[in-house]
Amino acid sequence: MPEVLVVDDSKVMRDMVVACLRPYPGLTFTHASSGLEAIERLSLQPYDLLVLDLNMPDIGGIEVVEFVRSQDRLRNLPIIIVTTRGDEASRARALAVGANRFMTKPFTPDAILAEARALLEEKRG
Amino acid sequence: MTGSVDLADFLPAYLAEAEELLGAAQRHLLAVEASVRRGLAHPRAVRELFRALHTIKGLSAMVDVESIVSIAHWMETSLRHSDRAGGRLPESSVEPLMEGLREIEQRVRQLAAGKPVTPVPAGLLERLEALEAAALGTDPAKPAPVALELDATVSARLSAAEREQLTVGAAGKRAVRLDFIPGAERASSGITINSVRERVAKLAEAVKVLPLSGPAAGGGSLTFVLLLLTDATDDALLEAAGGPPASVRALTAAPAVPAAPIVTTEPELEAVVARVEEEPEEQRRGGGTLRVEVSRLDEALERLAALVVNRSRLTRAVAALTAAGAPTRELTAILQENGRQLRDMRAAIIRLRMVKVADVLERLPLLVRGLRRSTGKAVRLELEVGDAELDKAVADRLLPALVHLVRNAVDHALELPEERRAAGKPEEGLVRLACHGGASGLLELSVTDDGRGVDAEAVARRAGVPVPATSDGLLDVLCRPGFSTRDAATSTSGRGMGMDIVRRITVDQLGGELRLETRPGQGTTFRLRVPLTITLLDALIFECAGLRYAVAVGSVEELIDVDAARLTRPAGASGVVLVERRGSAVPLLSLERLLERGSPDGQRGGTGAKALIVRQRGEPVAFAVDRLLGQQEIVLRPLEDPLVRVPGVAGATDLGDGQPTLVLDLAALGAARSGNGRRERAT
Amino acid sequence: MSVLHVVFKVDGAEYALPASDVLQMETFTGATPVPGAPSHVAGLVQVRGRVIPVVDARVRFGLPPVQRSLDTRVVVGQLGNRTVGLLVDSAREVLKLDPAQVKPPPPLVVEGARGFVKAVAQVGPRLVMLIDFPRVIGEEAPDGDGQR
Repeated sequence: MPEVLVVDDSKVMRDMVVACLRPYPGLTFTHASSGLEAIERLSLQPYDLLVLDLNMPDIGGIEVVEFVRSQDRLRNLPIIIVTTRGDEASRARALAVGANRFMTKPFTPDAILAEARALLEEKRG
Repeated sequence: MTGSVDLADFLPAYLAEAEELLGAAQRHLLAVEASVRRGLAHPRAVRELFRALHTIKGLSAMVDVESIVSIAHWMETSLRHSDRAGGRLPESSVEPLMEGLREIEQRVRQLAAGKPVTPVPAGLLERLEALEAAALGTDPAKPAPVALELDATVSARLSAAEREQLTVGAAGKRAVRLDFIPGAERASSGITINSVRERVAKLAEAVKVLPLSGPAAGGGSLTFVLLLLTDATDDALLEAAGGPPASVRALTAAPAVPAAPIVTTEPELEAVVARVEEEPEEQRRGGGTLRVEVSRLDEALERLAALVVNRSRLTRAVAALTAAGAPTRELTAILQENGRQLRDMRAAIIRLRMVKVADVLERLPLLVRGLRRSTGKAVRLELEVGDAELDKAVADRLLPALVHLVRNAVDHALELPEERRAAGKPEEGLVRLACHGGASGLLELSVTDDGRGVDAEAVARRAGVPVPATSDGLLDVLCRPGFSTRDAATSTSGRGMGMDIVRRITVDQLGGELRLETRPGQGTTFRLRVPLTITLLDALIFECAGLRYAVAVGSVEELIDVDAARLTRPAGASGVVLVERRGSAVPLLSLERLLERGSPDGQRGGTGAKALIVRQRGEPVAFAVDRLLGQQEIVLRPLEDPLVRVPGVAGATDLGDGQPTLVLDLAALGAARSGNGRRERAT
Repeated sequence: MSVLHVVFKVDGAEYALPASDVLQMETFTGATPVPGAPSHVAGLVQVRGRVIPVVDARVRFGLPPVQRSLDTRVVVGQLGNRTVGLLVDSAREVLKLDPAQVKPPPPLVVEGARGFVKAVAQVGPRLVMLIDFPRVIGEEAPDGDGQR
């Protein structure tokens, strides 16, 4: 069963992302409310997909992407970053350091589901 | 399946989070303002303000509220520049940012009230955009002179502003590095980076937290490095990180240089800043807290009520057994224990609805700030609310009353600075809001000012009544609807004092008490006592036989128009009237008759113009009423006296006329009054 | 030791309650009727934020109804933790009654007052009846299934 780590300091946003991805069969979800927690969880347990907010306290999404890509074990973990208008520069940075896709708020449930499906199937196949 | 997710379902959760974020944003902006006035940078507050706005923007985009997205975006843009300037902001930027927050807040309120959201006001975005340019002109942060004892990997990841913070420090605080190594075992005993971060936040300000991968002490492969400014001892910090393999070391050889001297003081804002500094953000935004919709708690309470009813059946059954001579001593003991447990359970659920009074009042400093500007009076606001808590429903209702009292105190009670000086008082007036846990189930609050006091003679003259002999009498006059101590409406208090509203809320709505103590020339105290908890109900208000009644919206299945021409009266069914509803016949009861309001000559028993359909023992039954008056949220006041505890009446409420209005439980009313026993079923 | 009493009138007769049992007196602007309540309950009124039942003294004493007037008062009494109003024709006097003035009610009064009068006091030419407040308001037990 594919495990998804959803990282956002906004609980509403995490809930929204989970609701959007729910229709994909068999996913299980873990929430992380900070970039630090995400890194801790990633260092302790494998995941199949990372959905990541850019704007978080202490360390933001970019630093999480950098950390992930610096780890051999996590080199192939698919990452979707979730951005907002105004994040263009950070988004470019995140893609440059290794995020796979980005979604800009507002996005539709179908749009993020399609991205997740593509990444999960690419990884499996 | 894919089409089934509707992000609009997240609106209630969005509103709750947006409110919380706005509260945080206001606190941070006040802190920024206080720093700006002292000529200092406040990079952390600027960044937190930025983050709060950014989150609001993203969430608002998801639920499609474009005007909030735009306002937040432009506020954020100007803050981004300030952030780059090391958290410095020109003083002229504060007011437009305040305005932006107010506009966002107004729109969040509109959404919450189900109203259309107004577009961005003319000129606001331009004003915010102009700030951006202004911010660009401010001085960039100066590079720090002192060297930090840090290894290159960590040092390379610090910004100039962060380095400046660590070297300059906050008054006398030490700069230290705390290393925390996460692990599966530690995580399973609750020691995670989030919990460590939260505990550390109570002891220190975290300037930077970063992950370092590579072999770590204790066999780990990841280290979190926390760079802190603190007064706490190494041992305390180590303990907060769960002990070794965590470690602590100092970053500078000598204590950091004290902060720059304070240029101007703004006591009220300083107090705000002090509070913001004392209470780490993580604590207030509540790591380890859970947001739950109030309706879910109410559902739990309802389930519990069913258990209580069941228990009383059990009690009766056991009593019958006892009467029949069965050995029930143990059963009785268990029942008693069970009763106690149910009471504890109820108390526990009610506690879940409690909010901190301090959180409820977080907007008051902002209010007073505005009043200070508009009245030209010097005011200090003191909040002494401690850890007191209140039911959210009570808190939401009470806040407007407290706002009113604070507003009145600044507006009417406090004198202008020169007047105060002449009276031998400090120029700065004081308004203090305090609360104390009162007698069981009640909270006492007081709003005190050191202003001119209420002039009983002037009040009596204005109201055209004799001078009241007691302070209760004086309060009665002040609370007369429309009473005002000012001739002209003032911009801040609107039409006069509005004390009638304060009394309506405290006394009539919440069932509490309001008292007044005043001494000429020395000041006034209003004391409020309110219940810690109340029951709220979404209700339909209707009229029947000349009286108004309320009924819980949730209990009503449907509202139908009653067309007298389409009623049927089956022969031999002793006066039962059937009304057609989507092809099936539903018995129509005259509510007028059930309420014993029919004229004594009997069968007038009106069929009304409208009917409420309610399920009674699973079957739909229509209750005829004369007129629907609307839907509103009401405070349900249970009727406690046995004289009026009757089936079918859930309680009473005050719709604003000072008269109790009955809140009906139609199903129970129908069941209790359906003639002798049950009526034949229709259809 | 004399005790302060509140004196009120119903149908021309004078009654009294110890002032310590009386919370306050209110003018009467109407009560909200409660269906299913005992017939002597005039309804609910709101007194300083509390919703309390009001007992109509005339109905209770079996007297004919009258038009309410400006004199009509609600005597708000405290009975343990219950607060109940008593609707009377007027109430405008407070009297100090010496225990020596207070006597058991004469048989005629006992009969006529259905046990609501527990003593009488002679005050000059006037006869003031001390009422048994718990009895007047009625101590109806809550009915069995009245939960909620």
